[in-house]
Amino acid sequence: MNPLTATAVGKRYRSRWAVRDCSFTIPEGKVVALVGPNGAGKSTLLGMAAGIVRPTTGGLSAFGTPTAGRTHPDVSYLGQNRSLYHDLTVRELTRAVGSMNDRWSTDRVHEVLGLLTGVDHDAKVGTLSAGTRTQVAIAMALGRLPRLLLLDEPLSDLDPLARDETLRIIMTEVADRGTTVVMSSHLLTDLREVCDHILLVDEGRVQVDGDIEEVLARHRILVGPAADESSVEGTLVSATRTARQSTLLLREAAPTPKGWEGTEPDLESLVMGYLRASRERRR
Amino acid sequence: MIWVSWRRQRPQLITLLAMLVVGAGVVVLLRSSMLDSITSSGLTECVTRTTQECSTNKSAGDFRAEWSTRLQLGQAAIIFLPVLIGLFIGAPLFARELEQGTHVLAFTQSVSRTRWMLSKLVVALVPALVVLIALQYLVWWWLTTAGVMGPRVNGSFQVFNFGIEHVSPVAYTLFAFAVGAFVGVVTRRTLVAMIVTLGAFTVLRFALFDVVTRVMTTQREVVTSGLSPTASRDASLVISQGYLDAAGQPIAPDKVGAAVQACKATWTPEGQQEYVACLAKSDLGRRYADFIPESQAWQAHLVDASIYGALAVLLLVGTGWALRRQS
Amino acid sequence: MNLRSQPDQALPVIAQGLGKKYRRGWALRETSLVVPRNRIVALVGPNGAGKSTLMGLITGLLRPTTGGLTVFGDRPAGKGLHPAVSYLAQQKPLYQQFTVTETLRLGARTNPTWNQDYAEHLVEQAAVPMGAKVGTLSGGQRTRVALALALGKRPSLLLLDEPLADLDPLARETVLRTLVTEARTQGITVVLSSHVLAELEGVCDHLVLLHNGRVLLAGDVNRLSADGTPLGELALNHMRRAAQEEAA
Repeated sequence: MNPLTATAVGKRYRSRWAVRDCSFTIPEGKVVALVGPNGAGKSTLLGMAAGIVRPTTGGLSAFGTPTAGRTHPDVSYLGQNRSLYHDLTVRELTRAVGSMNDRWSTDRVHEVLGLLTGVDHDAKVGTLSAGTRTQVAIAMALGRLPRLLLLDEPLSDLDPLARDETLRIIMTEVADRGTTVVMSSHLLTDLREVCDHILLVDEGRVQVDGDIEEVLARHRILVGPAADESSVEGTLVSATRTARQSTLLLREAAPTPKGWEGTEPDLESLVMGYLRASRERRR
Repeated sequence: MIWVSWRRQRPQLITLLAMLVVGAGVVVLLRSSMLDSITSSGLTECVTRTTQECSTNKSAGDFRAEWSTRLQLGQAAIIFLPVLIGLFIGAPLFARELEQGTHVLAFTQSVSRTRWMLSKLVVALVPALVVLIALQYLVWWWLTTAGVMGPRVNGSFQVFNFGIEHVSPVAYTLFAFAVGAFVGVVTRRTLVAMIVTLGAFTVLRFALFDVVTRVMTTQREVVTSGLSPTASRDASLVISQGYLDAAGQPIAPDKVGAAVQACKATWTPEGQQEYVACLAKSDLGRRYADFIPESQAWQAHLVDASIYGALAVLLLVGTGWALRRQS
Repeated sequence: MNLRSQPDQALPVIAQGLGKKYRRGWALRETSLVVPRNRIVALVGPNGAGKSTLMGLITGLLRPTTGGLTVFGDRPAGKGLHPAVSYLAQQKPLYQQFTVTETLRLGARTNPTWNQDYAEHLVEQAAVPMGAKVGTLSGGQRTRVALALALGKRPSLLLLDEPLADLDPLARETVLRTLVTEARTQGITVVLSSHVLAELEGVCDHLVLLHNGRVLLAGDVNRLSADGTPLGELALNHMRRAAQEEAA
């Protein structure tokens, strides 16, 4: 049973569709990079998968069960605003979250907190820095011993050292317990280190969905003379042009024509290319 | 789950406890001081009976001057306590969580939303009701010590006595709390919830003010004109009064007014026989009063409590529904 | 767009023995550093290292507990921001109900050295509609407007606290590019704090690394990474080492 399957899922807020007609399947054990511009619907998708946002159309199911209205017991969620009880100490928070769960491992939480620098268990959560709070929230999420971990911008308030620690924790979790992870982030270089699957969402729709290596292999970046663009075959995703030179991102490109230089894109160039395309469309 | 709710509401519960301790202390001290005042002025008899002497006695007058206001403040405290509980414990209960987004933490764990809601409700409501009942009893104890020299002379149906006796304060508290919780979930903003709760509670209390009297069955006392029904002079609650014609039907007020105007000339301060005879000629032979005796006040309280209690239950069910739909 | 002449030859920031103590401890301790002119400075360090405190001291929003600080030769006073300094806070405070035009008017009214044409040019360059309410703009567009507001007063020193947080990769690239272009053509010294060193690598030419309220590393990038180590890796190594020393 797949950890997460979306079937034509959509969410409308008043007049605007945040997510529209998205369908995808996440295979077990994958670490998925959920990328896309702000306002693309990433947070809404994760919220629907966690069961705290109700879809307008279609639905999501986690391990075969529809997610609407209730968080699946095997799923853990980290929201963008890190919902935590600020007036409790870390110790009390661990106890509180533990008492709200059927399956819980305090040892796992202590293990994760131990891997992080500078978490005082008797400090009130509200006095911790934003980055440390995020790490505490991740520890709480892992205490549930989930099979699917949904993380909305987990790295955004972390400094380089903390990001490093957190990515390590995620990678260890995946390696030891085979947890499936879906994480949204803007920090593509960090994602590239951990993720093996990409889900690119823009304007509420899925633009790219697949194994990262395969997706990158299917695309090509061609640099060459602007005048000669007609000789290039393949589906154009986006292009940046100067007076004389064109840089094109292509999907299913034919062999590189003469006078052009072709390379396989890295994750960053791929995502940027799609973001550029959608920005052009919006204009 | 209970521990979590208790830990999160610890500050409010400590405040409630402090209120109880301070309130109890104040009432006990005032009551014993008042008791001394009564015994030293020799007014012990006047507490239970209203005699001519008790009304004119100077020390009774002094007593009333000194203690009336304080006793009324005691009443006011119990009148306002339900709405204060609704405002400061009911309204923020869910509004604060929704406002700060901490509900997401609870909603993404294994505990069901209903269980979460019930746990928070119970931990907030039960101590509040305990404090309310304790303070209500203490104030009642203090008021009965003053007996008919204090506000209790007005009877159990007088607004400020009725609202603080029997099960009514508990019902009002439940209602105010439920309004606060419901508005809190719907508006998701603590300050707005508090203001709306205050408004909604006040409006509904005024609107439902005499529903009780319309629902209950009344007794009718009939006397000959010239006398006034005893019910209008004692502590019974008079619903309506007027004149009956020969067939025993109430006479329309404008006819009564016209007849009384016409007979005014015959009224003399010494005797009223001529006045009464004049009225009888216009068919205004007997007077009536529909009333609820004071001994039935407990029935009125039960009706009152069921109305507010039913509303409270409806609102709490609504709260649960809104939380389940929350997305 | 003509280059404005430098008001004086004093250095943008000179700090000596600077320290700031809060109730819970020292946020900044014995900090001495110099920010050279016309640099783009990356201010890096873990949370709680003192980056925001340092910025607060430079802008005059905070008073130092020990030591002293001069900004273009003047001491920051409580009278408001130095006229040659612009500050963009992390939350990018803008009035959500104001339109972009009104926001620029706010800048004009509150800054004696305001240049309306320049500010409008920056907004147009970002393709942000002038009549739109700020609350309806995307994060990247809001950052561009906030940047226009900060640059419109023609500062000599620009302080940016995490300007790229919450922006998607494309918006980050565009904002950074605008920043660099304007800084170089206008001769502005920029100090920006950020967690993402990778993208600052081609952009910043001076690094200040803070840890636990002290300066771990400070200097021009070409000197610090003379052996070719990428900036990000250099900083990470230093931070790791400092954290280990602390734990020991």
